[in-house]
Amino acid sequence: MKKYKNAVAFILNDKLVEVNFNDSRSHTPTTTVLNYLRNFPFHRGVKEGCAEGDCGACTVVIGQVNEENKIIYQAVDSCLMFLPMLHGKQLITVEHLARIEDNKIILHPVQQSLVDKYGSQCGYCTPGFVMSLFALYKNYNNPSKEIILDALTGNLCRCTGYQPIIEAAELACVNNGTDHFTDSEENITNILLQIKKSTKTLSLKTKKQTYYRPAKFKKAKLLRSLHPEAIITSGATDIALKVTKKHELLKEIIDISGIEDLKYYEERPNTINVGAGLSLEKLKTLSEKALPALHHMLTVFGSKQIRSLATLGGNIGSASPIGDTLPVLIAYNASVVIESIDNKRIVNINDFIKAYRKTDIHTDEIITGVIIPKPKEGTIVRSYKISKRKDLDISTVSACYALKLNNENIVQSIILAYGGVAATTKRALEAENFIIGKLWNQEIVEEASQIIFREFAPLSDARAGEEMRRIAARNLLVKFYSDSLTF
Amino acid sequence: MKDLQHDSAKLHVTGEAIYVNDIESNQQTLIGKILYSKHAHARIKKIDISQALLINKVHAIVTYKDIPGKNNMGPIVYDEPCLAEDEVNFIGQAIVLIAAENEYACIEAEKAIKIEYEQLEAILDIETAIKKNNLLAPPRKIERGNPDGVLSNCEYKIKDTLHIGGQEHWYLETQSCLCIPGENGEMQVYSSTQNPTETQILVADVLGLESKDVIVESKRLGGGFGGKETQGNHVACWAALLAQKTKRPVKIHLSRDDDQKITGKRHRFIINYEAGFNKEGQIEAIIFEQNSDAGAATDLSMAILERAMLHAENSYFIPNIKIIGKAWKTNLPSNTAFRGFGGPQGMAAMETIIDRIARQLKKDPLEIRYKNFYKISTNNITPYDQLIENNRLFILHDKLSESSDYWSRRKAIHEFNTKNKILKKGIALTPVKFGISFTTSFLNQAGALVLIYKDGTVLVNHGGTEMGQGLYTKILQIASAELGINPKNIKIAPTNTSKVPNTSPTAASSGTDLNGMAVKNAIDILKSRISEVVTVEFNKDFKYDLTKIENIEFENDMVFDNFHKDRSMTFKEVVSMAYLKQVSLSSTGFYKTPAVNFDREKGTGKPFHYFSYGMAVSEVLVDSLTGSHKIIRTDILHDCGDSLNTEIDKGQIIGGFIQGVGWCTTEELKYDKDGNLLNHSPDTYKIPSVQDIPDDLRVELLKDFPNENTIRKSKAIGEPPFMLCFSVWLAIKDAISSIGLHQIEPEFSLPATNETILLSIENLKNKY
Repeated sequence: MKKYKNAVAFILNDKLVEVNFNDSRSHTPTTTVLNYLRNFPFHRGVKEGCAEGDCGACTVVIGQVNEENKIIYQAVDSCLMFLPMLHGKQLITVEHLARIEDNKIILHPVQQSLVDKYGSQCGYCTPGFVMSLFALYKNYNNPSKEIILDALTGNLCRCTGYQPIIEAAELACVNNGTDHFTDSEENITNILLQIKKSTKTLSLKTKKQTYYRPAKFKKAKLLRSLHPEAIITSGATDIALKVTKKHELLKEIIDISGIEDLKYYEERPNTINVGAGLSLEKLKTLSEKALPALHHMLTVFGSKQIRSLATLGGNIGSASPIGDTLPVLIAYNASVVIESIDNKRIVNINDFIKAYRKTDIHTDEIITGVIIPKPKEGTIVRSYKISKRKDLDISTVSACYALKLNNENIVQSIILAYGGVAATTKRALEAENFIIGKLWNQEIVEEASQIIFREFAPLSDARAGEEMRRIAARNLLVKFYSDSLTF
Repeated sequence: MKDLQHDSAKLHVTGEAIYVNDIESNQQTLIGKILYSKHAHARIKKIDISQALLINKVHAIVTYKDIPGKNNMGPIVYDEPCLAEDEVNFIGQAIVLIAAENEYACIEAEKAIKIEYEQLEAILDIETAIKKNNLLAPPRKIERGNPDGVLSNCEYKIKDTLHIGGQEHWYLETQSCLCIPGENGEMQVYSSTQNPTETQILVADVLGLESKDVIVESKRLGGGFGGKETQGNHVACWAALLAQKTKRPVKIHLSRDDDQKITGKRHRFIINYEAGFNKEGQIEAIIFEQNSDAGAATDLSMAILERAMLHAENSYFIPNIKIIGKAWKTNLPSNTAFRGFGGPQGMAAMETIIDRIARQLKKDPLEIRYKNFYKISTNNITPYDQLIENNRLFILHDKLSESSDYWSRRKAIHEFNTKNKILKKGIALTPVKFGISFTTSFLNQAGALVLIYKDGTVLVNHGGTEMGQGLYTKILQIASAELGINPKNIKIAPTNTSKVPNTSPTAASSGTDLNGMAVKNAIDILKSRISEVVTVEFNKDFKYDLTKIENIEFENDMVFDNFHKDRSMTFKEVVSMAYLKQVSLSSTGFYKTPAVNFDREKGTGKPFHYFSYGMAVSEVLVDSLTGSHKIIRTDILHDCGDSLNTEIDKGQIIGGFIQGVGWCTTEELKYDKDGNLLNHSPDTYKIPSVQDIPDDLRVELLKDFPNENTIRKSKAIGEPPFMLCFSVWLAIKDAISSIGLHQIEPEFSLPATNETILLSIENLKNKY
């Protein structure tokens, strides 16, 4: 049986493709899937609209075999995906949706519905919408409006005002996901499993770049110790921008997205343990009951295309002051699990973030997971995000609060965690100290909110001014108080 | 008329539709890149390209010295150099062009080019331009009655300033052009342009050629919205220079960030207004001073200012009015056309006045609107002396206020706001009256070329460009209806300057009005030629009861005598016969809009062929603690005359409305102190997403009100719905206002971002 070591293997629509970077002139390991496709004259349906995952014109669908040997279809932004990330997957493009029968083109139901509902005007965003709708079609039958909107949030259209596209989704998604892909699924599954079986670590080298894609965590740790300068990536939703926007040459990359061991979600008696490689989309689904504040934050995090690639480890590792999961993890008092080849550390999230985009991680270490203590009985945890646009936007101010009251309505403990108000995510410690031990009422909260107003010194930038951020930070506590009364 | 689906819909959904960047060009094709100014205002002391020329795979580096023709791409006033010479006037101004085999080589070359600047003082906002008296052109004025005198005697007065933001077009397809050099210096240009003729002229100018040497073709645009009316010319000129120099095809497809940084946008405005009215809310006099940020060059700024002035009163009769328009020159990219073309900015101030009168008099804004609408037989003359005919304001108002349940919802909202402290609701009904025609009257003309082939199929050429608005589909419907044949047998050819010359831009919502009529004219000519042949044929066996040529009809793929229905032939047979009888089966067509004129000096005339009307009611929910808002419901009733295609027209209405909502709410342009645009990608520039449209959106077309004297009694639809967005903008203001129990005028500007909303509420709370 063939072993994959130096070549990336995936199924492009219905054909097995192998890409070997040694003899490729046009591709490198950091070529995006978008640019790879557009190199072919017959794969130009996929469009570049922004090269940063904000418009969805480049949306393609990735088919992956799950634990039950079924193919799961996910829409992703091909501009944010490096070619090797396709290894062992099926890449579905807009050109493969329609079929030809008796010399007639039979459009896929999602395509036909878009035509019938006048869902395209200039047509440039349309292939991306088609692919998001296709993923929706495969995953839901008669989806609710909420599910439809969520599926389309990552696709921008400047012509239609979206209404006809929503109607097209309603019209199309009624066949339990059945289509011509259903017929070939078994065959595709077998090939993908075969590729998986035949791969341990991909090691892709060109004159200027080395790209490792280990399948086992142990191997990743070893590679990490050997390549302290390497960039660790999983979803690449942030790292890819270095290539697409800044045109940087990434010399050494360790891609941990192929390690299944890092994609766990475990409910323990006292904690919930999340693997660093778990996609935010899966985390969103899994955390709905146990960690509602995290779930809520993930509903307004990026878009489905981004969440399907992005991971919790990545969001923590970038240590951005506007990283949306950080205030939530602070409020839950989570800890980060960090491992090297011969050591394992567990660091509280408050100690993990050191400074603006700096973390307590050494060059031989990898973030492997997050331990989230289950909130104590009666603790109220809630997250908030203020952004210019409600969805697919970066926070102007975000916050997550955890409150525990005793029987007399006195604050036993409180965490007020904020993003967007300082160089790092930060707790409003002064306000916390003020509130603890006091009665939880309007007057105290108003006073505490004024402390918050003074406590932070946010910046003015492209998103909002300093004053707006202060007011928002202050008001969110008042909002939390109001929400806490109905909890 | 039967609605056809968008003629490219199947190509769109299968990914088969070809845009400029998708054209399969040969292996020799080079990639072009623009090196642009990093300073808002500077003297260029030195340009050193020597190192860049040595880079592998780089084929050409071009500066202004290499331009064989005129160094200009200004469409009207020649004040926009194609490449900067010794001075740069905005960040994003092109200085050097690079052609290389791939993007990487372009980037390397860009890094290797050294430019020495001497920085000069820059003007980066309207306020500074006013202080320095940096006018672009002499101010314009439209005046009627005695506004100054009447104002000073009015019992009630309002005087304030409104700040209105710009807008990035955010067409999904960034500016792109492919130029292929031909024999004898000729240039074939595939351009994403709304104005193929102007692209042709400017490319010829910079290359030192004539129009006959340059062919521009535009198959489809991935969105235009005015952003490719002149800005498409720039990319074409640059690509053409590189293609001419290298003698190889050159393609330029701007990256999103470059596109946002270097191209012009909707003009931001500062409008000073002063209004006088009586205690009933009847407006007696208004003075507007409109100040627009033209940017670094003229482009279309004066025409845009003109339209802003011509829409300053929106739907209201203002007996005494003065509108002063001033365009100011700043060190920013030259601002340009954008759906509405100044109309939205002009109307925003008028709607603000109405809203403020209502608050001041403690009346409902709708009452004030109704009171001041243009009337049917009196009070029906615009400030520029045009008579308002076929006024649709009252019918729209009556139908919409009823179908949207405006008054009972107003009451419910009041109750909601009394009960809720944090969440506040607001509602507004706003009208649009939009003038249709280019105000530069000679532009109101169009040409067509219709070819009938021997097999009975038809190729239609016209001067309009397809940018998603459905022009080709409407033209197809018109051709099909006029020829009486199945649309399957008709194709609309890509717009090409070698087929139809001297075309006007596809702009001013006029695409179908003008080109549709020109196509009809060509078809009428062809039909009369064919009818002659058919008449002879029908009559060859008769001596009495002859077929008359005027009774020949074209319908259902048949040509027949309407009085002797048995005398008929298929269209295909007729065409074949006409060919054998040596009849010409191709014809040009032409149309000019009748009787439009405008005297700029006097500010009077009949600039518009007719007006398009629409109204919208929006209800919003504002979170007073976060400044976020949500559109709960919008009802729209719009007047399209006899709609040519109801679904396409509805698509224009919803799309235009949502684009306007973006301008009014989340789309914000900020510059740093050096003149760098901070929002140059969708990361920070936020157009509406699918989550931002109203939860409940109800759109209806006004039925049974055909338009006079237009193609198949239809009305233009491209721009007017954009301005329905004021219903959302003012509903937000209404919600804010409720926090001060409508006693205090809230601070408000456009866009109403969550920041604007939050700061306004903060201010209101401090006052209250």
